[in-house]
Amino acid sequence: MKKGNRRRRRPQEEGERQSSGKPVISRVNEDELDFYRRRAMYSSGVLIFFFAVLAARLWYLQIQQGEEYTQLARNNRVRSLDIAAPRGNIIDRKGRAIVTNRPSFNVVWVREGDRIDEELIKKMAVILDADIDELLARIRKMAGTPGHIPIRLAENLAWDKVAYIENNRMNLPGIKIEVAPQRVYHYGNLASHIIGYLGEINKKELENSEPGVYRVGDMIGKMGLEKLREKDLRGEKGRHYMEVNALGFEQRNLKGLKPLPGNDLQLTIDVDLQQTAEEIMAKEEKSGAVVAVEVNTGRLLVVASSPVLDLGKFLGGISRKNWQDMLNNLKHPLINKTVQGQYPPASTYKIVTALAGLAEGIVTPDNTIYCPGSYRFGNRSYRCWKYRGGHGSVNLKRALSESCDVYFYHVGQRLGVNRLANYAKQLGLGRKTGVEMEHEKSGLIPTSDWKLERYGKPWQDGETLSIAIGQGFNLVTPLQLTMMTAAVANGGTLYRPAIIETVHDPDGHITERFHPIISDQLKGQERNLNIIKEGLVEAVNGKHGTASRARLKGIIVAGKTGTAQVVRLKQYKHLKEEDIPYKYRDHAWFTCFAPADKPEIAITVLVEHGLHGGSAAAPIAKELLQKYFADRLAEAEEGGSGTGETATNPQD
Amino acid sequence: MLHFDRRLIHNFDWVLTLALVLISIMSLSSLFSATWNGGPAPSPLFFKQLYFFLIGYAVIFLLINIDYSELELFAYLGYGSVCLLLIYTKLFVKTVAGTQRWIDLGFLKLQPSEPTKLVLVLVLASCYARRESPENGYQLKDLLRPGILTSVPFLLILIQPDLGTALMLAILFISMTLFARLRWSTLNTLSLAGLGCAWLGWKYALKPYQRRRIETFLNPEADPMNHGYQIKQSKIAVGSGRLFGKGFLEGTQGHLNFLPERHTDFAFAVWCEELGFVGSVFFLACYFFLLLWGINIALSARDKFGVFLAFGLVMLIFWQAVINLFMIMGMLPVVGIPLPLFSYGGSSLLTTLAAIGILMNIHMRRFHKR
Repeated sequence: MKKGNRRRRRPQEEGERQSSGKPVISRVNEDELDFYRRRAMYSSGVLIFFFAVLAARLWYLQIQQGEEYTQLARNNRVRSLDIAAPRGNIIDRKGRAIVTNRPSFNVVWVREGDRIDEELIKKMAVILDADIDELLARIRKMAGTPGHIPIRLAENLAWDKVAYIENNRMNLPGIKIEVAPQRVYHYGNLASHIIGYLGEINKKELENSEPGVYRVGDMIGKMGLEKLREKDLRGEKGRHYMEVNALGFEQRNLKGLKPLPGNDLQLTIDVDLQQTAEEIMAKEEKSGAVVAVEVNTGRLLVVASSPVLDLGKFLGGISRKNWQDMLNNLKHPLINKTVQGQYPPASTYKIVTALAGLAEGIVTPDNTIYCPGSYRFGNRSYRCWKYRGGHGSVNLKRALSESCDVYFYHVGQRLGVNRLANYAKQLGLGRKTGVEMEHEKSGLIPTSDWKLERYGKPWQDGETLSIAIGQGFNLVTPLQLTMMTAAVANGGTLYRPAIIETVHDPDGHITERFHPIISDQLKGQERNLNIIKEGLVEAVNGKHGTASRARLKGIIVAGKTGTAQVVRLKQYKHLKEEDIPYKYRDHAWFTCFAPADKPEIAITVLVEHGLHGGSAAAPIAKELLQKYFADRLAEAEEGGSGTGETATNPQD
Repeated sequence: MLHFDRRLIHNFDWVLTLALVLISIMSLSSLFSATWNGGPAPSPLFFKQLYFFLIGYAVIFLLINIDYSELELFAYLGYGSVCLLLIYTKLFVKTVAGTQRWIDLGFLKLQPSEPTKLVLVLVLASCYARRESPENGYQLKDLLRPGILTSVPFLLILIQPDLGTALMLAILFISMTLFARLRWSTLNTLSLAGLGCAWLGWKYALKPYQRRRIETFLNPEADPMNHGYQIKQSKIAVGSGRLFGKGFLEGTQGHLNFLPERHTDFAFAVWCEELGFVGSVFFLACYFFLLLWGINIALSARDKFGVFLAFGLVMLIFWQAVINLFMIMGMLPVVGIPLPLFSYGGSSLLTTLAAIGILMNIHMRRFHKR
C-alpha cells in the first residue's frame, strides 16, 4: 500500500482547484490529496492493531490471571501473624497440674520483599544483645519461605526489652513482639519419660504433617505423650491479619481468628506416688523402673524410669554434647525402662511356673519335693540359690516364699517349655501390653518352635530348667510383670495398662474417658491363684520369706522377689558382690500387690544391677505402699497396736 | 484573523467533544482516587489538574477560531521558541532528580519538551505538505530538512536527559515520514542506519540507568525492588482489578503505596484496579474512538497540510498512549512517557488539549471555502 502506483493509474490533470482568496499553504492537488487520505485511512489499521493488543492484554491480566494477581495484591497488603495456641495442660489423676503454659515474648521480623535490611538487623542485634551472625543465621534458615512468614529473632525476652521494642516500633519496620506460650513443668522432671518434651519441627515432620497445620519454627511434641497426643494437645492456631502499606507499616487490623487451646490430658498417674518413687530412686542413684497399677482397672499410678530426663535441657533444642552424654551414660537415661527395658524375670517368673504346675495338675499344694541344694539333670547339676544345705522338703507355698529353685526345676521339667510358655502368655508376658508409650518392647517367652526358628536347633530339656526359674531366654519388661502381678491379684483378669484418665477440650467437655480394657482372662484359675497368693503373702510375711523387707504393719502385702543374672562369668564367682563391676551385677526385682485379701494396687520395682530383689527392690516398694496406704496404716497404728503380733525384723 | 464563519458552528465537532469530555471525567475521577488521602476533600493536585483542564478547554476554544492553515506561520515561531526554551532549560535550570526538564513559572512547572512535540508535528506537517511528493516517494535528500528540524530538539531533549520524550520525537518523525511515503531504497538505507545507531546508542550513548531499565524489563527478576518492582506492582494492580474492579477509592495497590507514580505515569493502573476490566475497556474504547475520529478528520481534511497535521496529531497522542499503556501492562520497560489526558501534569495536558483543539479546527474547516 505504501507503493504509490495507484496514483499512476489515475493520472490527474484537473485537480488544481485552488481555493480562492486566502493564502493556502499547499496547492490542492486532489489526486495527491486522495492518495494521502487513503493512507490516513489505512493507518487506522495500526490503531486497531495496537488497541486490540491492549484489550487482549487487559483480558489476559484481569480475567485470565485475575485470580493470581488478586492473591498477589492480597499478599502485598495483608500480613498475617500466627497466634500460637496454648498447648493443652497435663494434670494428674487428682487434677494437680504437671505441665501448663506461661507466656513467653519472642521477637519476630516480617520481611518486606527479598531484601535483608542490614541496618535493621544491626539495630536489633544491639537491642537484643545478640550476635549479628546468629540473627543472620536464623534469617538464612528461613530463606525460601514466603516473605509474610515471620522470622523469630529471639525468644523469652525480658520485660524491659519488650517495652523498648514496643516504644520504638516506628523505627523498626517489620519487627514485632509475638507472645507464644511456653511449657512450664510444675514438678520438674516428674514422669519425664511418659510426658516427653517439645522441639522445633524438623523438615521431615513438616513434610509428613497435614498441610497447613505447621510451619517452620513451630514447636511439636518429640517424645512421650507430647508426641503421641500431639493432635489433642496442639489446639488450633489463631491468626492475626493486618493491612500494611508498601513500607510495611500497619494501617489497620482486619478480622482475625482466635487460637483454640489444645485439649487437656488428665493422667491416671498419681503425682505423690510418682514423686515418691522417683525420689527414692534418685536418692540412692539407682537406675531402674518402678511401676504401680490399679489391680482392678489397669490404671497406672506410677510409671517411673530412673534416671529421669532433664527436660530443661530440651527446651529450645538439645545440644549435641548433652545428647552424647545421655547416650553414653551407663544408666541410660534416654531409655524408658518401664517398657523399653527387657530383663530376665528371674524368680518372679516362678509365679508362672507355679500356676502352670497347678493348672496342669502336676503339683498340688501339698506335694513336697526335697531340695538338697541342687538338682541333677543329665550330666549337669543345677544349683538352688541356697546351695549350702538346701531347703529340705518344700511344698508350693514354701517354694514360693523361700524361692526354692529345685522345686521349680522339678515342676518345669515335668511341664515342658511349651506348656509353661502358654501360661506366661496368658499372663501377658512375651507380648506388648499396648500401653500408650513409645517403643514398647514385647519381651520374650521362648518355645521350642521359637528356638528352632531362631537358632535352627531343637530345644534342650536342660534349658527348660533355666526357663522355669525365669532365666535363660526369658525377657520381660517391668510393666509386663506389673500387669501379670495385677492379674494374679485380681483373680486372673489381665488389663491393658492405661495412662490417660480423661481428655477434655477447653470448654471442659470430656472427649475421651478411661474405661478398663481386658486383654486376657485366665478362666477357672481362682483356686490356683489363691494358692499362689498364699505363697506370695508368705514370701513377705513368713519367717523365712525372701521379701520380708516389704512387710507392713496393718496391711498384708503379697510379693515375689527376683535376682536376675546378667552374666554368668566364672571370674566373678568368687568375688564379693560389691567388687563385681557395676555392669555385671545382677538386676534386682520385686513385684507385689496389696492388700492381699482385697488387692488394690500392684507394684513392680526393678533396680538395674541392684544385686538382690529382697534387699534392693523390696524396700522401695514398701515405701510406695506406705505412701499409698498412709491413711489406713495410721488407723492400724492407732487401733491395732494390741494385736500383739510381733513384727519380726526383716531378715537378710 | 478572528473571522468567524457561522458555518463553523454548524460543523463543530460534537463527536470529538463528547469523547474528550468522557475521557476528562474519567481522568479526573481517577486522579481524585489516586491522590485521595482519606479525607472528605480532594487533594490540591486534583484541583490543579482541574484548572488545567479548564485552561485547556479555553485553549481549544481559542484555537478553533483560527484557521489551521494560519497556524503554519506560528509553527516556526513556536519551533524557535521551544528550542530556545530547551536551551535555556539546559543552561539555567537547576538539576532535579538528575535531569533538567522543568521551568518554574509559579503556577506551572513548564516542561518545554511537551509543547516541543506539538510544534514538531506542526513543523513536519508544513514541511511535507509544502513539498510535492515525488513520483516514487521521498529520497534521502528530501529528508534533510525535516531530519534537521527533528534532530535539533531531539538532541536538546536527549541531553536533559529525557530519553522517553526524545524517543517520542523520533517516533513522530518516523511516523510522519513513513506517512509521506519513502522510496524503498531510502527506507532500506534508513532502517539499516537506524539499527546501527540503536546499536551504537546502546553501546555508548545510553546512561547506565537507562540501560538498566531495558535490562530489567527483559529480565524483571534481576532487580525486583526497583524497575522490575514497579512493573510487577503495576501488573498486580491491573490484574487484581479483575472483571468489575475493587471499586472506586477501594484499590489497595494504589492507596497503600505499592504502586509507584500512581498519579503520573502509572495513573491508568489505578483506574484498572478500581474499575476492573469493564471500566478499563470502556476507557480504551473512548480513547480508541477519539483517535479513530482523529484519523477520520485526517482523511476528510480539505488539504494536504490538514491531512498531515491531523495524522501527526493523532500519532502524537496515539504513540504516547500506546507506550504508556504497554508499560503499565508490563509489555515495555519503564520509560517516562505519560498517558495523554490521563496522567497528572499540566504541560502534557495543555499540549494534548491544544492538539485536540487543532484536530477540531481541521474538522470544522474540512470543506473548501467558496
